[in-house]
Amino acid sequence: PAPAAAGRAPGPPDGGWGWVVVFGAFVSIGFAYAFPKGLAIFFKEIQDFFGTSYSEIAWVSSIMLATTYGAGPISSILVNRYGSRPVVMFGGLLCGVGMISAAFCTSILQLYICVGFITGFGLALNLQPSVIIIGKYFLKRRPIANGLAMAGSPVMLCTLAPLNQFLFDNFGWRGSFLILGAILLNCCVAGALFRPIGAGTALVKTQVAEEGKDALKGKISEDGKEMSSALNVPMENKTEEEEGKDCFEKINQYLDFSLFKHRGFLIYLIGNVLMFLGFFAPIVFLAPYAKHTGIDEYSAAFLLSILAIVDMVARPTTGIIANSKWVRPRIQYFFSFAIAFNGTCHLLCPLASSYTGLIVYSSFFGLAFGMVCAMLFETLMDLVGAARFTSAVGLVTIAECCTILLGPPIGGILIDTFGDYKYMFIKCGAVMVLAGTFLFIMNYYNYRMLAKEEKERKTKEEDPKSVRTENEGRKNWNKDSTQDGPELEPLREEGEGVKKEMNGT
Amino acid sequence: EYEIVLPGVSGTALQKNVSVGSPTKVELTCKLDENSNLKNPQVTWKRGSETISHTSKTQNSWTIQLTISDSSQLGSYSCILKGEVEVSATFHLQVPQIEGKERPIITYEGDLAVMVCKTEYAPMAWTWYMTNGTELVAINPSSHTNKFRIKRQSADVNRLEILKLTKEDIGVYWCEAAFRLGSSKRRFELRVLSIMAPLKPFIAVVAEVVILVTTIGLYEVYSKKKGEGEREFDQIEQL
Repeated sequence: PAPAAAGRAPGPPDGGWGWVVVFGAFVSIGFAYAFPKGLAIFFKEIQDFFGTSYSEIAWVSSIMLATTYGAGPISSILVNRYGSRPVVMFGGLLCGVGMISAAFCTSILQLYICVGFITGFGLALNLQPSVIIIGKYFLKRRPIANGLAMAGSPVMLCTLAPLNQFLFDNFGWRGSFLILGAILLNCCVAGALFRPIGAGTALVKTQVAEEGKDALKGKISEDGKEMSSALNVPMENKTEEEEGKDCFEKINQYLDFSLFKHRGFLIYLIGNVLMFLGFFAPIVFLAPYAKHTGIDEYSAAFLLSILAIVDMVARPTTGIIANSKWVRPRIQYFFSFAIAFNGTCHLLCPLASSYTGLIVYSSFFGLAFGMVCAMLFETLMDLVGAARFTSAVGLVTIAECCTILLGPPIGGILIDTFGDYKYMFIKCGAVMVLAGTFLFIMNYYNYRMLAKEEKERKTKEEDPKSVRTENEGRKNWNKDSTQDGPELEPLREEGEGVKKEMNGT
Repeated sequence: EYEIVLPGVSGTALQKNVSVGSPTKVELTCKLDENSNLKNPQVTWKRGSETISHTSKTQNSWTIQLTISDSSQLGSYSCILKGEVEVSATFHLQVPQIEGKERPIITYEGDLAVMVCKTEYAPMAWTWYMTNGTELVAINPSSHTNKFRIKRQSADVNRLEILKLTKEDIGVYWCEAAFRLGSSKRRFELRVLSIMAPLKPFIAVVAEVVILVTTIGLYEVYSKKKGEGEREFDQIEQL
C-alpha cells in the first residue's frame, strides 16, 4: 500500500537497483579517471611519429584533463535538465567518436582536438552524472556506495595499462585508438543502467525560488519527488515557480550559483582547491624519482602497481568506515585527517632512499590516496545535500581544474630548478597538510554553527506563526539545505525526520 | 672523468659504459667507499690479460689515463682491488650506441612509417639500410622521392620516413651512425597491417555494447510493465 504524496515520503532506495547503478558508476568513473593516465603508453610512439617534443605530446593529456574538469558545470547543467542517463550515454558516444577519429589523425593539432577536447568532454559527461546519481539512489549507505564506485578508478587503471600495452604491441597506435574508441562505448552501457529516479527536471527549479512559503513547500515536495522511486507525485509547484523569472534566475535554474553563499560549500571549495595543488604531482613523479635513485624501470613501474592495488582496497574500506555510526556524523573530520595523512606521507618520502623505503611509501600513499578519493564526493554531498549536489560538483570541478593543471608543472619546475625531487615532495606534503588543517578547523566551526542554527530552528518551530514569515522561510530553507537537514535526520530518529518534513508547512 | 665507487664487499661486478666517438683522452677512476672494510688493497688495472700501470693514486682512489686514437683501443678496462676480499669494476669503452629498445613498428597500408635514431653524441654520418634478402641496401632518398624521406632533426637525431606503405615494405631496416672510431647500428622491424586487422575486434566490441544496451533497455521496459500491472492490481484490490 503506497503512502499518499503529502509529507511522508520514503527515503532513497539505499539498495536494490542502487547496487547496479553503483556498478555502472564504477565503470564510468573508472574510465573517466583511468583513461587519460592509460594513454601515456602511446605517447613516445606518437611523439616519434609526428616529430614533436615531449611537452607537445604532454599537452594532449593536459587538454584532456582540463576539459574533463572544466566541462563540469556544463555537465551539471545537462544533468539538471535531462537527468543522468541521457548525459552519460551521450558522453560515452562522444568518447567513442573522439577516439575513433583520433585513429585517423594526421597532425598533432588534430590529436589535441580529437583526444583532448572531444574525448575529454565525453569523459566529463561521464564523471559528474555518475557521482550525482549515487547521491540520488543512496542515503544511509551512501559512503559505501561512493567508496565502491570510486574504486573503479584504480581497477580500470590496472586493467587499461596492460590492455593498452597489448593493443599497442599488436595494432600500433592507430589501431589501438580505434579499438579503445569501441571500448569507451561501454560507458553507454554504464549509462543505460542509470535508471532515472524521481522526476529529474523539476528538481532545480523548485529549490532556487527565494520566496519564503514557496521555498518551503518547494523543498518539501522536492524532497518527496527526489525520494519516491516510481510513484507519480503530483507536480503542483510547477506553476508557482513559473512566475516572475528574470535572466539571472533562469541561469540559476540550471546551475545553482547561490551555493557560493553556502558556508559548507565554500569551506569545501577552498580546502579542495588547495589540496589539489599537491595531489597529483607525486604520482606523476614517483616513477621518475625511483629511476633517479637508481632503481630500474620495471621496479619503478611496480611501485605504481602497489599504489594502485592498495588504492583499490582502500576505497571501499574507507567507504565502509565512513559509513559507521561513529564516523558518519563527523565525516568531515575524517576527510581532513585523510588529507593531512596524505601530506605527511609526502613529507616523509625524502627520508626513504632505498627500494624498501619507497615500497613502504607507495603503500601508505596508496592508502591515503584511496581514502581521500573515496570521500571526495561523499563529503560534498554531506555538506550541500543530494539535491544541490548536481550544481555543486560542477562548480567545484571547474575550480579544481586550475590547480590540478598547475600541480605537476610546478612540481616539475621545482625539480628542474633544484635538481632534487625532495623539494617537490615537501611542497606537495606541506600544501596538503595545510589543506587538511584548514578543513579540520573550518569544519569544526561549521559543525558548531550548524548545531547552533539547529537549536534556533527547534525553538522557532514551537511557534507556528513565525514559520510563515518570509524571512523565517528563507532561513529555514537555508537550514534545510545544509547538512543537518535531511542528511542526518534518518540517522538519528526516523520519526523526528518525518515530523520535521510535515511541520515545515 | 669517469668514476666508479666500490663498496668493498664482493658482490655483483660494477660496470659503466663510456661512450667515445672520436679520438680523445679518457680518465678512469676506481674509488673505494670510505665505509668499506677493505684497507690498503693492492690495485691492478687490466685490459683483457694486459696490465696497465696507474697514472695517479690518492688515499682511496686509483686512476689511469688513456689516449684513445683508434678503434683497437676501445674495449673493457677493469680495476681489481685485492685485500681480504677481491672486488673489481669494469669500464666499457665503446662507440656511442643508438638509443632505444628493439620493438616492431606496426603501421597500416597507405600510412606513413617513421623510424627515429638518437645517439648521445653526434656522429659524422647517418645511413639507413633496408634488407634485400640477406643483403643490406643503402636507402637513397633522392632516387625514391615519393617513397623515402630522410630528415635530420638535429645532429644527433635522424629520422627515416617511409611513405605510402604496402605489404612489400615489410621487413628489417637498419640505421647506422658512423663515428671516427667505429659505427653503431640499430635494427627496426617493420610490420604493415591491413585496415581489417583492428576492425575485427572493433566490430566485436561495438556489437557487445549494442547487445548490452538493448538488453538493459528491454529488461527495464519489461520490469516497468510488470510494476504497472501489480499497481493496477493493488488499486483494484483497494476498491
